[in-house]
Amino acid sequence: MENADQEIIICRCEEISRRQILAAIADGATTIKGVKIRTEAGMGLCQGRTCRRLITQMLAQSGARPAAELYPPTSRPPVRTAQVGEYIREEDD
Amino acid sequence: MGRTADVAVIGGGVIGASIAYRLAKAGKKVVLCERYDLTAGATGACDQMVILQSKNPGIHLRLALDSAAMFQDLSRELDYPIEYFRHGGMITIENEMEMGVMTDFVARQKKIGLEVEIISRADAAKRQRGLADHLLGCTFSRQDGHVNPFKLTLGFAKAAKALGAEILIDAEVTGFKEEGGKIKGIKTAKGDVDAEVTVLAAGAWSPLVAAQVGLTLPIKPRRGQIIITEPGPPYVVGGILSAQYIVAKYHPETLRDAKSRGVQLGVGLALSQTAKGDILIGATREFVDYEVSNTREGIREILKNAARLMPGLKKMNVIRIMGGSRPYTPDGLPLIGFPKGREGLFLAAGHEGDGIALSAITGRIVADLLTEGKTYTDISPLDPNRFPLIAS
Repeated sequence: MENADQEIIICRCEEISRRQILAAIADGATTIKGVKIRTEAGMGLCQGRTCRRLITQMLAQSGARPAAELYPPTSRPPVRTAQVGEYIREEDD
Repeated sequence: MGRTADVAVIGGGVIGASIAYRLAKAGKKVVLCERYDLTAGATGACDQMVILQSKNPGIHLRLALDSAAMFQDLSRELDYPIEYFRHGGMITIENEMEMGVMTDFVARQKKIGLEVEIISRADAAKRQRGLADHLLGCTFSRQDGHVNPFKLTLGFAKAAKALGAEILIDAEVTGFKEEGGKIKGIKTAKGDVDAEVTVLAAGAWSPLVAAQVGLTLPIKPRRGQIIITEPGPPYVVGGILSAQYIVAKYHPETLRDAKSRGVQLGVGLALSQTAKGDILIGATREFVDYEVSNTREGIREILKNAARLMPGLKKMNVIRIMGGSRPYTPDGLPLIGFPKGREGLFLAAGHEGDGIALSAITGRIVADLLTEGKTYTDISPLDPNRFPLIAS
């Protein structure tokens, strides 16, 4: 089990391991978005709320880009999941 | 640090990556330069469709058919799973006006060779649950499909690299290299690239790059907002558009006096489900410069429209909303070819909402033209010189 730490799940929603994220960084990813498009980490139900910090740390450690220059990921709505029907009802308020 | 290439490609979206792959495959030394990262622009914020039915009967549909044929074998060719599936597609028809437009549209598409027909609401309901009761019917084509735009682009890029191409990310173009009145390469944030030909494939951002050599491209950014639901079991079968979209695209005069906010935002249904299970619900078509943020109004109008056509969507949970700048052109066709008066530059941009669908064939056409000077079909309607590119 010497490679056990490589198999630690970083993105729990999409079940993306540390090994997969390091592979994305080796493939040229220098941003959180770069890791996301290569691995799908951060594309799941929580939209990167859990894995974002861990991936930022791994990117900074890789030396691809100084931590201070890491672009924050694009913030997009919604903050919490909501049903399609709720968006439509909003109009009648 | 300087590099030398046969061809420099500007733009790491699906079009640039496809071109880089085909050129590398044809034996050219290629360097692709991308300002941010692969798929950073419209490619990474689009609706995944390879839908043929939305294409105008003519060169547009012919190229889309040829592109779709290439997609069928592309996962194997690239040795990368691009997730291309042909689950068919439908266009919803709500009223007699739309039925008239679609009847004519379908008849002309059949002549080009698309397998498409108009089916009753009852038959449509056998393919897709959750459809609205008021629909008059739908068009249906089994040749429609969808593909994962991220995997498609990464697949092209990986295969290009394996063939010797170099992909530079964080490599914004800062200027062109000119020599004796000819463009001989580009200057980028990652160093100079000397090249015999420079291909500009920067989508909606192409006009900003072309302006550096005095060209005025008729491409304008047009925002599309798209809503993503949480992954769920299979629900949306294939791709679903609304005839509103076709009417708005090809008969804009019918909407000129429209009072509905949704119509003014260019809202038309574009619905599909990814391999993972997320449902993509689109989209707006808005001229708001390079703004890609989301608006409450845009989100509400998209969802109102979608739920009107498919009430079954109301229970779905939204997890993310995105927006991208599509490269609009005045005649709806891309600019592919050499612009007059700027020797050494080649344009391949302006696919608007068809970039994913036309990516495969665009790569082939550009590689053909740059290696053999000709391609398999008449593409004169795509000639960039149909527009005045140099201000007089």
